[in-house]
Amino acid sequence: MTKTPLTNSGFYSESPRSGVLGWLLSTDHKRIGMMYLGCITTMFIVAAVLGLAMRLQLFTPGQHIMTAQTYNATFTVHGIIMIFLFIIPSIPAAFGNLLLPIQIGARDVFFPKLNLLSWYLYISGAILAILAIFTGTGAPDTGWTFYVPFSTQTSTNVSLAAMAAFMLGFSSILTGINFVTTIHRLRAEGMGWGRLPLFVWTLYATAWIQVLATPMLGITLVLVMLERFFGAGLFDVASGGDPILFQHLFWIYSHPAVYIMILPAMGVISEIIPTFSRKPLFGYWAMAISSLAIAFAGSLVWAHHMYASGMSDFAILVFSLLTFIVAIPSAIKIFNWISTLYKGSIQLGPPMLYALAFILQFAIGGLGGLALGAAAADIHLHDTTFVVGHFHYTMFGGTGFAFFAALHYWLPKFTGRMYNHKIAFIAWGLLFVGFNVTYMAMQAVGIQGMPRRYYDYLPEFQTLNMVATLGSWVLAAGLIMMFANLLKGMLNGKLIGMNPWGGATLEWQVPSPPPMLNFGKEDPVVTRGPYDYKGVKADEF
Amino acid sequence: MTLLPTDNPTAQLVDGVMIYIFGLSLLLLLGITIVTIYFVVKYRRSRCPEPTSDVDHSIVLEAIWTVLPTLIVLTMFWYGWVNYVGLTEVPEGAMEVSATARMWSWQFEYADGRRENRLFVPANTPVKVRLQSTDVIHSFFVPAFRIKKDMVPGLETYVWFEAPKPGSYDIFCTEYCGVGHADMITTIEALSAEDYAAWLVADAPPEHRGLVVLREQGCIGCHSIDGTPGIGPSLFELAGSPRQVEIDGQTTEITIDDDYLIRAIREANYEVVQGYPAMMPSYDEASLNNDDLQSLVDYMMGRPDTTSAPLDGARLIEINGCTGCHSTDGSPSIGPTFQGISSRDITIIRDGKEVTQQADADYLLRALVDPSVETVKGYPDIMPPSDYLSPEELDAIVEHLLQQ
Repeated sequence: MTKTPLTNSGFYSESPRSGVLGWLLSTDHKRIGMMYLGCITTMFIVAAVLGLAMRLQLFTPGQHIMTAQTYNATFTVHGIIMIFLFIIPSIPAAFGNLLLPIQIGARDVFFPKLNLLSWYLYISGAILAILAIFTGTGAPDTGWTFYVPFSTQTSTNVSLAAMAAFMLGFSSILTGINFVTTIHRLRAEGMGWGRLPLFVWTLYATAWIQVLATPMLGITLVLVMLERFFGAGLFDVASGGDPILFQHLFWIYSHPAVYIMILPAMGVISEIIPTFSRKPLFGYWAMAISSLAIAFAGSLVWAHHMYASGMSDFAILVFSLLTFIVAIPSAIKIFNWISTLYKGSIQLGPPMLYALAFILQFAIGGLGGLALGAAAADIHLHDTTFVVGHFHYTMFGGTGFAFFAALHYWLPKFTGRMYNHKIAFIAWGLLFVGFNVTYMAMQAVGIQGMPRRYYDYLPEFQTLNMVATLGSWVLAAGLIMMFANLLKGMLNGKLIGMNPWGGATLEWQVPSPPPMLNFGKEDPVVTRGPYDYKGVKADEF
Repeated sequence: MTLLPTDNPTAQLVDGVMIYIFGLSLLLLLGITIVTIYFVVKYRRSRCPEPTSDVDHSIVLEAIWTVLPTLIVLTMFWYGWVNYVGLTEVPEGAMEVSATARMWSWQFEYADGRRENRLFVPANTPVKVRLQSTDVIHSFFVPAFRIKKDMVPGLETYVWFEAPKPGSYDIFCTEYCGVGHADMITTIEALSAEDYAAWLVADAPPEHRGLVVLREQGCIGCHSIDGTPGIGPSLFELAGSPRQVEIDGQTTEITIDDDYLIRAIREANYEVVQGYPAMMPSYDEASLNNDDLQSLVDYMMGRPDTTSAPLDGARLIEINGCTGCHSTDGSPSIGPTFQGISSRDITIIRDGKEVTQQADADYLLRALVDPSVETVKGYPDIMPPSDYLSPEELDAIVEHLLQQ
């Protein structure tokens, strides 16, 4: 095995500037993508540690490692980091940047400088979020939802945290504008809409939600700050305002945001399953259209977070109906993934294992969502740990596992090196078991009636909380093993060729790592579909 | 782990929907999992080096798995909605109680004005709880009855339930409301019919002496106390309201105060309220002594009864939620403990400066009414002002604290 250092090949070696500036001032989508990936993974690890600490506090009733105030700050910061600094940008900003231009045969995104600005907005948001924790009057304690009137009254550092989320929102909007434009304008010759990889289709649907829904978040957070600094009175009953108005404004963004989080993950899965089955994705157009349908219908269901809020019964009727409608395109996706396996040639490589875990866990999350969408059942389950378990099934078991799948699938492409597969299998097993034990127990204790955001609980909830905490330790072991294995693989794994998995999309037809501007001197001409595996051979490694 | 029994009407509404949805979901999940595992094993690469089919779409299949799930989820939606409506329809004849949530305590108020920090109800009787909040959003959640509703400042909401048998049922706050959120727990105490009747009598607050006098003297025969018209003007909400009265045929406007009321009783027909006949008898000291007259005036002016037993400060700190944040046994909590509060030095922060002093009556009163002006060092500035208490109640609490 030759020991070529990572920085000696592909886009690592070619840059107008050398050293750190070559990265910080680079407008190359791959360099920006790698910078996102580094920051996002770091943020995930930080927030995961906070999550593990909360599980430790909840091992038995009583106050152990955290006071109530510390616990409240911990779940707030865990939520803000996981949502705004990890899940929302995870797949679109990191893998979207790395892959979107290559997959459509382009040399970069349409607005490379805007792309770099988005990254700086992300970093500024991250720094503000961290400042909010360590400076001023104490870490924010409102939960990531910033519900008024509590968030306008608490003395903690809410304004800075809201500023951070505001900034991150702009990063997201600019990335969305960039991706929509890129997909419309920069497709290579022969790359018709019917030849777009599904990952690109989901990025396209996501980008539209980012552009259309995120401004609502910005407006809402500005209103919270007006309320805090000037007592604007928009959400204050005594001044003619309404606290429930805030909840509508907040969820008009934050529910579609759930689809910003899950759609690109579905795209990742739609890439991996065909490759590891050597068969075209079943129902290409159904998959593409269902992505757009999810993006559209998902924008109309926000108030299903509010059945118990005091909102009118008529609103509950309408939003419950719409919520069930949005379940249908998700179901269509699951059936199509499974049909892709039919009569295929299935190889259980590490990315495929994560993809299969995604299908199961996303199905559990989605089916749990049906109970939450039904008005009567939601009245019992709302704001219990069932909801916490449910959204971790979709966001972590879904998007998180898809992010891990993407790391195992594409990281070798961008580092030119392969990780150890045996360790990857063991890490996957630990993650799969640990994840399901942790969050299934959390769902069960929620059905039993334990409210969420409790640092302490009554003795009848102890057994299941202990199970959840034990599960979180297995999960932690899996995470450590997975990240260590990937890191070791990046630095000195076996060198690989262009196409270690036998993929048919364009990124597997360029070197690993890809060169600057992706495709040599000649512009690529696309002559076959993204899942046409005839004659495609996987490289040995 | 204990399973929650489905033994009461609201739980039956919710559990029906949960069992239907979770049951169908489990079936679907099993189907998905089994088919996936079957495909993965059957078509593994070592057995099938190349795909054995290149079918990549099917309009018929897509149509089937679009239409079938649509029909299934629509049944779930409808069942969920219909039973939700059941949760909003309070049975006729339900008993009513008001619940007030504040950071971080519960208070229940009964029709007779009695206040409690636990919700005492008769078993086997529907109860409607009117919900309100004085500060941030809280939520009233009783897992045993599967009921939950947010308590929003400025908006009255409600829930109803029927306890199936005597016993204690947990109430949780389930809308995050700050540092005391997880400790904002109380109970519904469902009592048997006999126990409830006994509780009603045992703890009932004594009636206002003024109201007793009104009845004894027969005043209510002509003057209603709830605003319904009678032979004479109603006594409902008198304090401070203006009246047109006639004195010797001259009409003047007066504001109702103690003096006016005393004149109207002692010299009934000197000033006559416009529109009413001058026919009320006067009451001299022989028929109505001065003490009773004062009680009567206190009652009509909406003031508490001064003749009853002194207010119990210990009970007041309990039913007003003070003990949610302040322990009475010295254990640490959200606020400073009440134990020894009058005999220890406390360091308070006033205008950004630290001052060490003993807690005297003045300080305690200020701390109750305007707690954020002086905060105790080491504790967050989060106590809500207790301005909803009457001066008498505040005095009773201060007195009680000084004895600690």
